[in-house]
Amino acid sequence: MHLRKNDSIQRTLALLVTASLLYIPANLYPVMYTDALGSNEASTIMGGVVLLINLGSAPVALVIFVFSVMVPSAKLMALFYLVWTVERHSALDPRQRSRLFRIVEFIGKWSMVDIFVVTILVALVQLGGLLVILPGVAAISFAGVVVITIIAAESFDSRLIWDNMEDKDSVN
Amino acid sequence: MGNEIACQSCDLLVSVAATKHGESASCPRCGCFLTKRHDDALRRVLAFASIGLMFLVFASSYPFLSLSSSGVESAITLIQAPFALWSKGMPEVAVLVTAFIIVIPATVLMMMLTLCILINRGRYHSSLLPLAKGIFMGQKWSMVEVFLIAVIVAMVKIAAMATVTIGISFWAYAAFAICFTLATSNLDRYQCWQKIELLAIK
Repeated sequence: MHLRKNDSIQRTLALLVTASLLYIPANLYPVMYTDALGSNEASTIMGGVVLLINLGSAPVALVIFVFSVMVPSAKLMALFYLVWTVERHSALDPRQRSRLFRIVEFIGKWSMVDIFVVTILVALVQLGGLLVILPGVAAISFAGVVVITIIAAESFDSRLIWDNMEDKDSVN
Repeated sequence: MGNEIACQSCDLLVSVAATKHGESASCPRCGCFLTKRHDDALRRVLAFASIGLMFLVFASSYPFLSLSSSGVESAITLIQAPFALWSKGMPEVAVLVTAFIIVIPATVLMMMLTLCILINRGRYHSSLLPLAKGIFMGQKWSMVEVFLIAVIVAMVKIAAMATVTIGISFWAYAAFAICFTLATSNLDRYQCWQKIELLAIK
């Protein structure tokens, strides 16, 4: 038996708004800079995906695209949608909404892939003046988005989806 | 004591008394996974957790990846990776990464070890409850498998610019990830609470 989470909707909503705001710089600013023989090149998250396609590794590009572009935005939208339906006491198929929430919970941490890639590249690629990779500001905001959305999903109480079903079932 | 569980996801009371060994139960209303009875669960958890910790020690003491291009070479260990981020002006991200890939998973495994040993002694101990809570909390924040995928992506990204070599630590970390997954999947939340409850009322 678990206690209900306090102020679930308010907390989730506040965290979601924070994450959405952080999501803007996370996509606009570069996540890393590549310094190759004096020429400096900045790349955003989307830029990284394009680079991978140009390198001919479409499957890896797809992995990054799914986890760093699709998952975070889909997650934000899904959580906003869930909060909205709960607030409206919607009776829309609760089973489907429960499943949606479980997917959101499960997939959350996979968005950290890009941050880990930057971590590895920054540490590994230190070849004097030849080739150096440096982290960019978007790394902080993107990591923030991932962590905050995980906490948002954590503070959302999925039992709220079922509460008004029970109200409707038991009209006694 | 009753065999009813309140579903974590929708609060429906479900009787799981009919669940036999090796079977798993999910909520009839929302479809959420409820419990699975594993044979020898605690012994398996104990085994995987201790082997996993050994692999982690191994993984942190040898080169993880190395890189060479036109005669210049660089190698990193597992712990050096987040440290580089720290020295490049991103201590926040460095702390998060270290926590997600090393500190939290290692703590979870250590707590699992302690929990198994305490339950095996057959006496109730006041630290059982916080341990179990900590384990289930920490599992959500462990990202060992995510990190493994990230290593592969990183290798593809630099392969065009320089030659990457996988060090022995990488394999040790992969083994650690497998042990971690096996240990967590064998420790069932409901079965674990039930064992603690049994000890508490004895």
